[in-house]
Amino acid sequence: MNGSNDNAVPGRTAKVQIAKAMTEATGLLRRPQRALPLIRRLVSDKLHITFEQRHLYSYTTTKRPSGVALNSLLRWIIDAQHPDGGIAAYYSLLTGYSQSYPEVTGYIVPTLYDFARSTRDDRAVSVAESATRWLLSLQMPTGAFPGGLHGGLATHESQPSVFNTGQILQGVVRAHVETNRPEILQAAVAAGDWLIKVQQPDGSWSGPAAYQNAAHTYYSMVAWALAELSDDSGDPKYAVVAERNMDWVLSHFRPSGWVDGINLQGHPNYLHFIAYVLQGVLECGILRQRNDAIEAVAKSSWALLRKFEANKFLLGAFDADFKNGQRFTCLTGNAQISCVWLRLFEVTCDLRYLNAALKMNEMLKQLIPMHGGRGIAGGVSGSHPIWGRYQPLRYISWGNKFFSDALLLEERLTRAFAGSSALEALPCAS
Amino acid sequence: MRIVILCSSVYSETACAMAVRLSKSGHAPVGAIALPTVNRGTLLRKLGQWGAQDVIRYAHSKLIPQRGDEQPQVHNSYLQSLLKHKGGIFRSLREVAKFYDFPVAIRNDQNSPDSIAKLKEWSPDLIIFAGGNILRRPLLQVPRLGVLNVHLGMLPEVRGMSTPEWSLLNNVPVGVTVHYVDAGIDTGPILQRCEFPDATRCTSLSDLRNRLVAFGIEKAGEVVANLDRGTISATPQSHLDEDRQFFVMHEWLQARASERLTQSQTAATARMVNE
Repeated sequence: MNGSNDNAVPGRTAKVQIAKAMTEATGLLRRPQRALPLIRRLVSDKLHITFEQRHLYSYTTTKRPSGVALNSLLRWIIDAQHPDGGIAAYYSLLTGYSQSYPEVTGYIVPTLYDFARSTRDDRAVSVAESATRWLLSLQMPTGAFPGGLHGGLATHESQPSVFNTGQILQGVVRAHVETNRPEILQAAVAAGDWLIKVQQPDGSWSGPAAYQNAAHTYYSMVAWALAELSDDSGDPKYAVVAERNMDWVLSHFRPSGWVDGINLQGHPNYLHFIAYVLQGVLECGILRQRNDAIEAVAKSSWALLRKFEANKFLLGAFDADFKNGQRFTCLTGNAQISCVWLRLFEVTCDLRYLNAALKMNEMLKQLIPMHGGRGIAGGVSGSHPIWGRYQPLRYISWGNKFFSDALLLEERLTRAFAGSSALEALPCAS
Repeated sequence: MRIVILCSSVYSETACAMAVRLSKSGHAPVGAIALPTVNRGTLLRKLGQWGAQDVIRYAHSKLIPQRGDEQPQVHNSYLQSLLKHKGGIFRSLREVAKFYDFPVAIRNDQNSPDSIAKLKEWSPDLIIFAGGNILRRPLLQVPRLGVLNVHLGMLPEVRGMSTPEWSLLNNVPVGVTVHYVDAGIDTGPILQRCEFPDATRCTSLSDLRNRLVAFGIEKAGEVVANLDRGTISATPQSHLDEDRQFFVMHEWLQARASERLTQSQTAATARMVNE
């Protein structure tokens, strides 16, 4: 999720934000029945943080099976799909479901196929196929995909967006891998070619198709998508561009593990965006077999792991060098970091990553409402408590996507680990 | 040698057994500092570690004296031989202290100024850490020789928490390390590293832990005697730049560690049959 308006200019952003705030504020007046779930959640979170004893919640025991949580998460995604195939960005406790969000609809596709593979649940495949059809209908003649919500408030939201094109490309590539349909590959290649065309010589993406016209290190997610496209299409030019961006991002890693260049004016460094940088570099590094990238991400991840193990939570936003930050939990960022730890375990066989991810997933499972009706049950809120700074009072579809990814990864890796006859069977067991 | 024991509670069996072991070998402590027993943090931690039922059973065994032919209850049965006395059992450090004649002080924080003042009053050569707070530099500077800790793992390979379990999963020998405490976590100079020879006889992870605690107390007793004789010196840990710290293990991995223990038992039995 790349902010609400991918390529808005500052003046317009303020107007759009005011308009959105007004809409949110009047949501309860239009649908007063939403007051009850809102009050219930506010009271529940207030009680939780009042009685929270950090040393008591060590998350070392499984209180809710991952399979049950996964089914709730998928149910939430199915409910969030609009008839045209697009998936809502969020369910607001004030205004209900948002319009379809092309970016998330794109990168939720791989999650749906993974879920179908894991559970043999055909519903996930149907959602993925209709989502892909809808996405292809949105592609611009240049090959780019638009930013923002579909039919959003601002007219400029239909402008091309680098980040959203990259995120959607992930889904389109996966849809081609699963279906082998030529028109899907054609769409992916067109998107990839556009991304090559607008890349800066230094490997970054900036200019009018970039958020706030600036270059951002979290666009490493775009590099990951291009590396996948290279593997799928067999064309090395996409890998070259992906590595060029990865090199630019790697030049922003500090010795402390902190990554500069997230570069969001008017926003703190949310864990969600820090995690984007790490996920993009790690996955691109794995695909391109770049040990320097994997080691850089491992260093940053270890800094976060130590904080999580010592404090039993991660701050929702960090200041530079992971010093201080904002005290709320960004659930999406936590789920993404869990994915990073799990993938690092897979690559390095260091069990401490798996251990931390199991605890992180346990914490997240405990924070998902299992009841509460459509849009709430199985939803991942933007923040905990729900009034935290990141996407307050909303259950967000990309949080759902990343937490599903984390649980699916956990399931796959623990099954492989438990299934090995002896630990020595692991290729890199220490 | 003047020795002081630090512990998390006067009901700590490890601290009681350590005090008895030292006293029996002629190194009775000159004092002990314990944290308050009804401490919110300790109580919550124990509830988390053991569960409510075990905490209540433990509290009952410590607070209510056994009558008649009732079996004395000891949480760690491998400490029973040390804790037994005159047909009864030492239930608290106060009872041990009364028997061996040393004072016990209660402090809310082992690093607090009044705790350090008390330690200075006792002027120890050596402090033995048997549980409590993370120790800060002012306290570490009080004893002439240093603060001794028994770590349930081989250092420097396995630092931190859940170390017997991590040792099993990472194919590191199970054992204990007696070392001086410094400002880091399990990073101080090593006095003795001992592999535990009976790991394959352990029936469960908690059995392994209990045996390691008893084994560690024995080794600490030997180290203290050697320090007193001047026949042992500490060696700084090597490769401290490599991060070898481990954290509390999730129960799913604990189950895998338990399987590993069973595998090693089976392998040991098979070897014996073949021999």
